[in-house]
Amino acid sequence: MRVLVVEDEPTIASQLSEALCAAGYAVDVVGNGADAHFHGGDENQPFDAVVLDLGLPQMDGLTVLKKWRAAGRVMPVLILTARDNWHEKVAGIDAGADDYLTKPFYMEELLARLRALIRRAGGHASAELVCGDIVLDTLHSRVTVGGLALTLTSHEYRVLNYLMHHPDQVVSRNDLIEHIYAQDFDRDSNTVEVFIARLRKKLPEGVIETERGLGYRLVSPTSS
Amino acid sequence: MSFRVPSLSITLRSSLRLRLLLGTLVWIAVSIMVAGWALGGLFRQHVAAQFHAELRTHLDQLAAHLAFEQDGSVSLSAAQSDPRFSKPYSGVYWQIDQVGHAGKNVSGLLRSRSLWDDVLEVPSDTPMNGEIHQHRVSGPGDTTLGMVERVVILEDGTPARAERRFRLIVAADERQMLEPVERFNGMLWLTLGLLGGGLALVAVIQVLIALVPLRRLHRALAAVRGGTTLDLEGRFPGEVQPLVEEFNTVLAQNAEVVERARTQAGNLAHALKTPLSVIANAVNGKDSELAHLVSSQVEVARRQIDYHLSRSRAAASVRIPGVRTPVFPVLEGLVRVMKRIHADRNIELVMHATNEQVMFRGEEQDLQEMLGNLLDNACKWAARRIEISVAVEEQSLTIIVDDDGCGIAEAERQRVLNRGERADEMTPGSGLGLAIVNDVMRLYGGRLEFDDSGLGGLRVKLTLPMTN
Repeated sequence: MRVLVVEDEPTIASQLSEALCAAGYAVDVVGNGADAHFHGGDENQPFDAVVLDLGLPQMDGLTVLKKWRAAGRVMPVLILTARDNWHEKVAGIDAGADDYLTKPFYMEELLARLRALIRRAGGHASAELVCGDIVLDTLHSRVTVGGLALTLTSHEYRVLNYLMHHPDQVVSRNDLIEHIYAQDFDRDSNTVEVFIARLRKKLPEGVIETERGLGYRLVSPTSS
Repeated sequence: MSFRVPSLSITLRSSLRLRLLLGTLVWIAVSIMVAGWALGGLFRQHVAAQFHAELRTHLDQLAAHLAFEQDGSVSLSAAQSDPRFSKPYSGVYWQIDQVGHAGKNVSGLLRSRSLWDDVLEVPSDTPMNGEIHQHRVSGPGDTTLGMVERVVILEDGTPARAERRFRLIVAADERQMLEPVERFNGMLWLTLGLLGGGLALVAVIQVLIALVPLRRLHRALAAVRGGTTLDLEGRFPGEVQPLVEEFNTVLAQNAEVVERARTQAGNLAHALKTPLSVIANAVNGKDSELAHLVSSQVEVARRQIDYHLSRSRAAASVRIPGVRTPVFPVLEGLVRVMKRIHADRNIELVMHATNEQVMFRGEEQDLQEMLGNLLDNACKWAARRIEISVAVEEQSLTIIVDDDGCGIAEAERQRVLNRGERADEMTPGSGLGLAIVNDVMRLYGGRLEFDDSGLGGLRVKLTLPMTN
């Protein structure tokens, strides 16, 4: 899952980046409104969620959000700001935000809300994503198969997490790359194949199918 | 029992209308009195002059008709032309006295028939030859007469008849002069009275008309205070318009100052909360004594900032008169926010209203602050459903929020209104929401009441000033 963090305060930006990376997200950070407008509005950079500050240099966060929504960008946006008036919260939600958190904030709360946003955007009601015997606990970043805990590396978790959010859908290799790596990360498309191969060894057989020339599909037992 | 009667000066100071009326009426009364006195005096002088001129004419006629006989006696060569001299006690009389030497006078030597048996007693002065004197004397029947007299000296050159003096007197009843004066004065005062009454009526109407703009100004001010308008509306006369414009400028400046204060409060919040976030996250997840201390103090600082900023924002804005806010759009906006920020809780928010046009007499942001905190609180506690009712009760706006949560025990209800107090430490929140609602509501002179809800949880009833 790839998250865009828009925050002009460098310390908070790096704290957010660290915490989100530790929680298994690929994180891109921008520090002003103009960059945020550019990155968030770029269809080639599909973010699964955005953490958006409002008081930004060059372009106000609310303006950025309105421009995204006007351009048809639908990714869930969590506003993280020091502006705590209800008046400002109404303005933020009406501009198209999906959630609103005020500073100072608890990192756990931010992570929980972000997880919920991504989950709801994918149409999942529970914090646990289930696909047959596989259960992915987004709250604790844990995966079990038939009740037994599975040990995954950070990138394996990210790939499985993305596939679990889009069960029975064909996910291209590019999609996976876009959603598991941050933009400035040294991307190598072959590594995706390596992660898929490792996951196939750890998961029940036939759960991840390859659609030739298209990508991969996580097959849920109900669909077969 | 004693009553305190306000002194005239206090009454005058307190009423512009009374001042104007009293000033005008006193001036009208004084003018009428002076005019009456002056006109009456002039007429009286004129009539008196005519009266005495007529007497002199008669005196001249009497002198002209005076004839001296060979035997030394005097007679009139012709009767006086005025028939009143022949009618007894007609009020017009003549008399000729002989002025003798050493006080040997003969009064009433000759006299008009109108005197009948009476003789006019005249003061014993002796006018020079040709000189005319005026006197007031008593006449027949206790009348007062205006009188003129002159002395005629006969010198025939013979020693025996040496010099003989005759006093010619003509008198008339003064009532003949006073009656027209009295009639004139009667008419004069009646006319002046009517004129004064008319002027007073006109003055009253004029004062009432002149003060109409002030009454309009009063209504315009009431509209501002009542929240119907933001500034004084309408055109006023040139004397009042500058005052209206100055007042509107003050209102605008007041609103500007409040907006500036609010912006500064927001900037201060931003300036303080960002470093607080950095500090809080720097110790996040660390299990040391210092980390716990920092976390707890960051929380204290956050509560204090939230509380004092909310309060100062509200305290500034309640001083702006004329501000009003439609309640429904505010509630709808807040319900949209609640549905988003409490999306995981799947709570149903239902609004009931008897009057959708109802207006809160105050700032939109303050209403949002109060209702936002009430709804946020309800969303944290409700199990599935929240009902919001808006109604008008006794000229006040009433907003009721019912939830189906576990409610607050009666003993706890007062405590949650205190700053930072929380009924349950397990539910997220600063414990400031209801305290902020309570404070802002008090600034607007409202009421906040808790009760058991029909839904099974808590009912919060917020009563606020409204405007139409």
